[in-house]
Amino acid sequence: MSPHDSDDNALSARLRALPAERLPPARVWQGIAAQLPAQTPAPAPAAAVATLSTRRRRERWPLRIGLGLAAALALLMVVPTPVPHTPAPSLLQRQADAMAGEYQQAIAALPSDGVTEEWRPALHELDASAVSIRAAIAENPRSGYLLGQLQRTYALRLQLTQQAVFSAGLPT
Amino acid sequence: MRSPLSLIAALALCLPLVAQAATSVNERHPLGAGGRVEISNIAGKVTVRGWDRNDVALTGSMADGLTLKQDRSSNRVRWEVEYPRGRSNGGATLELRVPRAVDVQLGTVSADIDVADIDVRRLQANSVSGSIIAAGRSGETTLNTVSGGIRSQVQTPRLDARTVSGQLLAGGGASGEVAAESVSGRVNVTAGRIQRLAVETVSGSLDVSATGMAPGGKVTMQTVSGSVALKLPVNVSAQLNVKTFSGGIQSDAGQVEKPRYGPGSSLDARLGSGDGDISINSHSGSVRVSLGR
Repeated sequence: MSPHDSDDNALSARLRALPAERLPPARVWQGIAAQLPAQTPAPAPAAAVATLSTRRRRERWPLRIGLGLAAALALLMVVPTPVPHTPAPSLLQRQADAMAGEYQQAIAALPSDGVTEEWRPALHELDASAVSIRAAIAENPRSGYLLGQLQRTYALRLQLTQQAVFSAGLPT
Repeated sequence: MRSPLSLIAALALCLPLVAQAATSVNERHPLGAGGRVEISNIAGKVTVRGWDRNDVALTGSMADGLTLKQDRSSNRVRWEVEYPRGRSNGGATLELRVPRAVDVQLGTVSADIDVADIDVRRLQANSVSGSIIAAGRSGETTLNTVSGGIRSQVQTPRLDARTVSGQLLAGGGASGEVAAESVSGRVNVTAGRIQRLAVETVSGSLDVSATGMAPGGKVTMQTVSGSVALKLPVNVSAQLNVKTFSGGIQSDAGQVEKPRYGPGSSLDARLGSGDGDISINSHSGSVRVSLGR
């Protein structure tokens, strides 16, 4: 008999000496059940297994979404975000913008209160034309002749506004 | 009781007549060749006719309350109809007789202008909403309106006509240098032999024809969204260049080219020996070039 055999016997004896498995008293289960939130009646055993797995899957979704968001955030922080591609305004557009600003300022400086109704359609026509020319320049920013048209349209708008202001008060 | 009622009724009937009481106009002034006559009138009508005399005459009538202001010198006369402040009862209907080889300057607001049978050195007519109809001969012609239409049959070597929204029709002998411009009005030019032709709109259509081009002549047509039609004789000698951004091109000469990628159409063609230059630019309007008789 080896010393190991004697040790095993001693260990087995001590294991056997441990108290046998005991079920908790029924009132303990009742207490636990009372502390749990109210639940729907338990389904049949097979359905219960299926529901459990579905619930677990559902429970995993927020985790997955969270992980996905975290990964995306990390990617955004690591990879430089490309700036949305808006082409820089061309020289022609900048000239058009500057010109429009100058003329609009000059026109706004004129008193428009006394402008009679007979002038308004023409003034609106010129404003609408300036808008359409600027839209055309935005579409085709290399078309130099459009800038000339815009300049003449604004010049005419200023001239007619001056005439309209001058003639305000004349008999209709 | 009958007589007071009759009196009131008679007065009521007479009121419009009183309101429309007109002041007659009858003025004369000696003016030789090279002199200048100017008329300024807001409402009503101004008619101009030529005659073989060395003086100018202004006749017609003015609504009650209007006065005629005169400014005369040896080679210049200016007549201006003065209106009272506020609303007037009507305008002035004036007829001007002019000698040959003088300068005529006409300015109105809503009054129509009608010019015919003249042979002057220079005709200049401006109106806001009134229409301009002009015929005769003039060494230099300038016609401007805002919303009024222009119809010119003036035989002139130099025509400059502009509107904002009014239609512009020029024919009957404009040749040499022709400039026609509108913002939204339709422009229709029937010209003779062209040295320089510049036609332009923003949205109005352009319809131009010429009987010929002088050697080294130049035609320029520009629009943003109006359609363009140009008709020239088949024997015209010029370099034709057409460019559009989104408008189509049709031409009796040359081949339309489109870039492999992106918008735009263009056409370059040599007509005859290519002496002159024809340049057409349109953003979205279509272009049609016809070569015929």
